[in-house]
Amino acid sequence: MVLTGLAVAMSATLFLAATITLWWTLHAWRTPQTLHATRFAPPDGSHAYTFSLLLPARHEEAVLARTVRQLLQSRHQAFELILIVGHDDPATSAVAHELAAEYPQVRVVVDQHAVKNKPKALNTALPTCTGDIVGVFDAEDQVHADLLTHVDYAFRTTDATVVQGGVQLINFHSNWYSVRNCLEYFFWFRSRLHLQAQRGFIPLGGNTVFVRADTLRQVGGWDPQCLAEDCDLGVRLSSIGCKVVVAYDALLVTREETPDSAMALFKQRTRWNQGFLQVLRKGDWRQLPSRRQRLLARYTLASPFVQAFTGVTTLAGFTMAILFDLPVGIALLSYLPLLPTVGTLFFEIIGLHDFGRQYGLRIRALDYAKLVVGVPVYMLLLAGAATRAVLREWRGRRDWELTRHVGAHLLPDAPTPATADA
Amino acid sequence: MTTVVTEAPAVAGPPARPAPPAAPAPLGRRRHRADRPLLLGLTALTALVHGVNLGGGPVFGADEGTYLAQAWAVREGVGLAHYTYWYDHPPFGWMQLAALGWLPDLALSARPSLVAGRVAMMVFALASTVLVYLLARRLRLPPWAAATAVALFVLSPLELALHRQVYLDNIAVTWLLGALLLALSRRRHLWHYIAAGGCAAGAVLSKETVVLAVPAVALAIWQRSHRSTRAFCLTGFVAAFVLTLSVYPLYAALNGELMPGGGHVSLLGAWFHQVAGRHSSGNVLDAGSDAYRTVDAWLYQDPVVVLAGAAAALLALGVRRLRVPAVAATVMSLIALRPGGYLPAMYVTQVLPFFALCLAGLAHTATVLFRRGTWAPPRLRRPVRAAALVLAAALAAGVGASWYDGNRRLWREDANAGYVTAGRWVREHVRPAQTPRIVVDDALWPDMVRAGFAPGTGAIWFYKLDLDPAVMAHLPGGWRDLHYVVVTPMMRQRPDGLPTLTEAITHSEVVAAFGAGAERIEVRRVLTELREATP
Repeated sequence: MVLTGLAVAMSATLFLAATITLWWTLHAWRTPQTLHATRFAPPDGSHAYTFSLLLPARHEEAVLARTVRQLLQSRHQAFELILIVGHDDPATSAVAHELAAEYPQVRVVVDQHAVKNKPKALNTALPTCTGDIVGVFDAEDQVHADLLTHVDYAFRTTDATVVQGGVQLINFHSNWYSVRNCLEYFFWFRSRLHLQAQRGFIPLGGNTVFVRADTLRQVGGWDPQCLAEDCDLGVRLSSIGCKVVVAYDALLVTREETPDSAMALFKQRTRWNQGFLQVLRKGDWRQLPSRRQRLLARYTLASPFVQAFTGVTTLAGFTMAILFDLPVGIALLSYLPLLPTVGTLFFEIIGLHDFGRQYGLRIRALDYAKLVVGVPVYMLLLAGAATRAVLREWRGRRDWELTRHVGAHLLPDAPTPATADA
Repeated sequence: MTTVVTEAPAVAGPPARPAPPAAPAPLGRRRHRADRPLLLGLTALTALVHGVNLGGGPVFGADEGTYLAQAWAVREGVGLAHYTYWYDHPPFGWMQLAALGWLPDLALSARPSLVAGRVAMMVFALASTVLVYLLARRLRLPPWAAATAVALFVLSPLELALHRQVYLDNIAVTWLLGALLLALSRRRHLWHYIAAGGCAAGAVLSKETVVLAVPAVALAIWQRSHRSTRAFCLTGFVAAFVLTLSVYPLYAALNGELMPGGGHVSLLGAWFHQVAGRHSSGNVLDAGSDAYRTVDAWLYQDPVVVLAGAAAALLALGVRRLRVPAVAATVMSLIALRPGGYLPAMYVTQVLPFFALCLAGLAHTATVLFRRGTWAPPRLRRPVRAAALVLAAALAAGVGASWYDGNRRLWREDANAGYVTAGRWVREHVRPAQTPRIVVDDALWPDMVRAGFAPGTGAIWFYKLDLDPAVMAHLPGGWRDLHYVVVTPMMRQRPDGLPTLTEAITHSEVVAAFGAGAERIEVRRVLTELREATP
C-alpha cells in the first residue's frame, strides 16, 4: 500500500516535471504564429546607436585575433571593441595589444584583480565604455556582420532595455556529447528563451547580449561574486521591469563551440548550476510584480536540478521495476514518466534535422544514432554536475572554473555567416 | 514588460532557407449561426432514434455479452476478462464500458445487462454524431452538408442497428473521429496534434482494426498544418500515438505474455491468430463465401449508404477537401474486402461515417460546380435550379422510403423478448445455492452472475466449457457436474469440438421454453443418474 502510494506520487511528479520541460522546450513550434514571432525584425538600414562591445579573453590567444577581425567586419561601424585581459596572462595580452595597435576601434583594458572571473573583468571595462549600448561577446565567438544593424533596429523600434540575440554551438560532430550539447542550445535559443521573454522572466545568456549602458551603470554592472553573472543580470533587470527583447535568426546567431572534453562540459555545467543556485538564493526575483512570474522564476532557476534528476530517476525507476519484478501495476506506473522522456527524444530527432537544415549542415545517420544512444550517459553527466553544484555551494567553494576553447567550430567547411545578405 | 519582436516580414535569405513572407494567419473560425441549433437538433434526433426500443432490436449479438462480461470483470477488479484474458482485443474498449457502468444503473437496474450495455453505448453514438458534424464543418462543408452527413450516418438502418449494439468498433470510431477533428485543428496548435495522436491510440486500443484509418489522420495533419511547423506537428502526432500504444505490449511483456510460448497466452500469439489463423471469409465475389453473405446482409439493410457511399469514397479521392475521409473509407474497405481476409459483420460500422461524409461532401462539391458553371445561359439557370431541387427532394424521399422498413423494425419489434423472459425465468425458478452450475451464452452470462451464480465456475460461458482448462478443472465429472443449460440460437450455432456441452444437452430435459423456430430458447435441466442417487 505504501509502495503503491509512493509509486503514484513519484510517477506523477516525474511525469509532470518532464512534461512541463518538454512543453516549454517546444514553445516556438506551438503554432505557426509563435514560430514566426521568434524572428528578428528586418532592419531599415539606418543606424542610430553607438556600441561598446566587451570581449573578455583569458588564455585565449589561439582564437582571439580571428574573433576580433571578424567583429571588425560588422556593417554597423559605430562601435568600439574593448578587449579585457588579465595582468597575469601575457600571451593573450600580447595578442590584444597587437590588435589594438593595428585597429583604431580596438582598445585593451587590463584586469588587475588577484582572483579573476568574468563579471569582474566586465565591471573593470564598464566605466570606460563610451557607447550607448554595451554588448558582450566571448573570445571564441563567430559574430555575423549584420548583427549590430539588427540590434540597433530592435532597440529603436521596441524601446527595449535589453536585446538578447541567439547563440548556437555548431561543432555537433566533434564527440559523443557535442550533438546533444548543440541541441540544448538550439532548443534554448530557438524556442525556450522566447517563452521566458513573453512571461517576463528571463535569465540572459553569457554573450550576444546588449544592454543600454546607462541602465547597466544604474544597476551597478555585473555581480562579481556570482558564477552565473549573465543569468543574475537578466533576473535583476527583469525584476525592475526592464523590457527584454529576444530575437532569433539562424543567420545571425553567434557561433560557438562545445567544451572540448566531457570533463570540461561537466565543470561548465557545475558552474552554471551553482550560479543558478546563487541567483535563486540572492532572491532578486522576489521583486517580480506578479505571482506567476515569481513562480516561473523559481521553477526556471531550479530547473537544471529538476531536469537533471527527472531523467536519471525515471530511467532508474523503470529499470528497477523491471529488474526487481515489481507488480505489473507499479511497473506500468513507473513507465508513465518515461512517456514524455522518450517523447522528448522524438522531438530532439526532428530538432536535429531542423538544426541541420537551418545551419546548412549535413546530419548523418551516425549523428542521429549518437543523439539517441547518448541519452543515458548525458543524463548521468547532467545529474552529476547538478549534484556537484549543490555540494560546492554547500561547502562554500565559489571559484571560477573556466571552459577552455580550441576553435573546433571554426572549421573551414563551416559556412561563414559573413557571406549572408540582409 | 518584456516582449518578443513580432514584426513581419522576414529577411530575404539565401535560397536554402525559404522565408515565409508574412506571419501565417490562423485558419479562419468559420462558425455559422445555424451550427448550434443544427447540432442540438441532430443530437436530439440521435437520442430519439437510438433510444426507442433500444433493447428490442436488433437481436443480441454474439460478442455483445462477451464485452459486457469483460467490462464487468474490469469493474469488479477480477481482471481484464471474466475468463483468462488472451489478448483477443486490446482492453481499452471495455474498460470504458466499465467506467460507464454507473450510467445505466441509474435508471435500469432491473433490466437485462445487455440493455444496460446498449444504454452505455448511446454515449458513443451521441459523441460520434456531434463529431461527424464538427468534422464535416472542419472539412469546410456548409452546415446543410454537415447535417446531411449526420442524417446519413444516424438514420441508416444498417448503422442504427450496429450502433445500438455493444461493439468495440463503435467505441473506436468515436475516438477516431476525435483524432481527425484534432488533426484538422484550425489553430494548428502543436498540442492538438499530440492530442490527435493520443486519440488515435485510444481508438486502436479500443479496437485494433481501426489502425487502418490512422494514415488518414496523418494525411489530415499533413494537409492542414503550416509548412513551417509541419515536421514538429507530425512528430508530435507520431510520438503520442506510438508511446500511448506502447503501454499495451509493455503490459503483455511485464506479464511474460508478449511472445508465444508453452502453457500461456500471448499478445503476439493472439495477433498471429487474428491476422493469419482466422478462418477466411473467402472472396466477396464468390456467392458461396462468408464475405459475400456478410456484404449481402449489409446491402439488404441499407443499399444506399453502402453502395453510393463506396462509389462516393472513390470519387472523393479526387477532391482535396474530401481526401481525408475518402482515404479512410477506401483503405478500410479495400483491406477488409481483400480475398482471403476475415470480414466480421460489424466491421462496416467503422467505414459508414466516412461514407456519409464523402456522400455529403460530394453533394456540396456538385452544388459548387453547379453554381460556378457556365453550363447554360442565365435565363435557363432558374428552371434548372428548381429541377435540381426537385430531384434532390425526390432522392431524399426515395432514400427515406428505402430505410423505412428497416428502421420501423428496429423501433417496433422486440427481437429479444425470448432472452429477457428466459433470463427472468431462471432468476425466479433456479436456486444457485442448490444447483450452482449453469451453462449459458455470453448474452445471458452477466445476468446469471447478477442472479447469484459464481462468475466463471457457476455461471459458465458455454464456449469456455471445453476450451479453457481452468474451467474444466472445476468439473471432474465432466458434463455430469453441470445442472442447467440454457440453449439459445447463439449456442445452436456453436462450432464443433465442444463435446462436454453436447453431452450435457443430450442428457437434459426442457423445463421451460420461449419463442419458436430458430429463435427458440430452452432452459434445460441436466439429468444424471449420479445426481439422482445422491441428492
